Amino acid sequence: MTRWATPKLASYAGLSAVGLLTAMVSARPELVALTAPFLLALAAGLALATTPRLSADLELDEARALEGDEIGARITIAAATPVDRLELYLRLPRGITPGEGRNPVALHLGAGEQRELELSVHASRWGGHVVGPVYLRAFDALGFLAWEATVEMRRELRVYPREEVLQRVLSPREPQLSSGNEVSRRKGEGIEFADMRQWTTGDPLKRVNWRASARRGELWVNESHPERNTDVILFVDAFAEARRGAEGTLDLAARATAALADAYVGRRDRVGLISFGGILRWLAPDLGAAQLYRVVDALLDTQVVLSYYWKDIDVIPRRTLPPNALVIALSPLLDPRSVGALLDLRARGHDLAVIDVSPIPFTTRPSSGLDAIAYDVWALRRDALRQSLQRSGIAVAEWRVGTPLQFALEEVRAFRRHAVYARA
Amino acid sequence: MLALALLAFGILARYASTIPWSIVLVGAAYLIGREGNSVVDGGAAIIGALLLLSAELASWSIGENPRIKAEPSLVVRRVLTIGALVLGALVVDVLLLGTAAFSGSSGILLVVAGVAAAVAAMALVLRLVRG
Repeated sequence: MTRWATPKLASYAGLSAVGLLTAMVSARPELVALTAPFLLALAAGLALATTPRLSADLELDEARALEGDEIGARITIAAATPVDRLELYLRLPRGITPGEGRNPVALHLGAGEQRELELSVHASRWGGHVVGPVYLRAFDALGFLAWEATVEMRRELRVYPREEVLQRVLSPREPQLSSGNEVSRRKGEGIEFADMRQWTTGDPLKRVNWRASARRGELWVNESHPERNTDVILFVDAFAEARRGAEGTLDLAARATAALADAYVGRRDRVGLISFGGILRWLAPDLGAAQLYRVVDALLDTQVVLSYYWKDIDVIPRRTLPPNALVIALSPLLDPRSVGALLDLRARGHDLAVIDVSPIPFTTRPSSGLDAIAYDVWALRRDALRQSLQRSGIAVAEWRVGTPLQFALEEVRAFRRHAVYARA
Repeated sequence: MLALALLAFGILARYASTIPWSIVLVGAAYLIGREGNSVVDGGAAIIGALLLLSAELASWSIGENPRIKAEPSLVVRRVLTIGALVLGALVVDVLLLGTAAFSGSSGILLVVAGVAAAVAAMALVLRLVRG
């Protein structure tokens, strides 16, 4: 432990020295009487001071939690020597706020005493957090000496974004070949009725539509749409974000990504992730609950990292973007690099839908003057950008904080349906 | 009054350096008041103890961080410690002034040495008690 003298020690020592010297010079015993208490306090304080020998341990009830959860934490502190005043502080990272219990706390420990301090922390933001270290500061009985130590105990706490329940998700233009829940537009083996055609050699008898055959005097068979799965790539724009306090566009994008991944994995679709920003992260599409955890874990490490490096989609590995995959981009459309990448994806024929995580609620419009005009121009340019993406055939919907993600998805769905009709 | 104002400022501004200066000012004011009086003043023992008490309370007030929640037992312990310290100081002062009254002003060096010896002995005892 690092020891240091408090200002009180210097004050009392100075008072004692000056008082006794002045008493001798002026030959006034009363001055000795005024000084002696400080000298006594100094001597008593230093005599009682012992270097504390402490050990501490930190435990978290959970290593994984959901946004908004309360997690119990327990600090065990043991003293081999008496500690008159011990101040203890558990450092909490950004995104983890103190809940119940005392932190920081001051307490007394006797020799050989062990205490358990129970407190709770609130997981207020998703992400991979490190709780700790524990800072200790001990004082002697009269506060002349202090000892400080940092107990290097760090506990990892992974906080997963709280997901929204989605009623319906977007369907791709073309599904994959494996079985799944998505009814394909193609004809083949399936449950959903598609059409009828004349019987040909090799058609199984169970597919004969006897009623239609009887009416037409020849054999007709039913055709059906096969149920296929889809490849969905969730594209998170981590180049820039708009943030106000504890909430920002990246938080919304992360929550939406987790909700979409959960919904698609539940439909037995293959889900992949591309975190496109200062640091590029990707996860090749796969299916199953394990993949959902992989996506969410990869999402936790996503953060906005300042970068001036110009990236295009060539940096993304090819296997991460399979043909016919539906790419759902969650972007605040603030950085030209991500907008360029979206246009590039569309130009290469990918089935693309963009959820514009609106930065507008995280900004304040200046009341008047040139700033207000600049703000309005910026908002208009955002509208223009959305329209230009739509003109390129990209379904874009603005999503604002406080509104359900389902609204934005339905807007995208409507655009895509309209676009399909227009092509036909 | 100046000492009081300085101490109040120190407490409000959480500036610990003002404590010794306000104590010095009170001591100086007391000495000026005693100028020309050769009889040893017994009231100096109480003033000395009160000065220590005010310095201790001021230090406590300035040093206490409202963000750090102290256990109630810690407050009781500190009150008892300060009380015991002030009482001990009062006893030492009474003994000191009693000795000084008998020995007279010529024995000031002996008084100072006696105080130092008494304080050192008390410190030694406390150290042994603490283990």
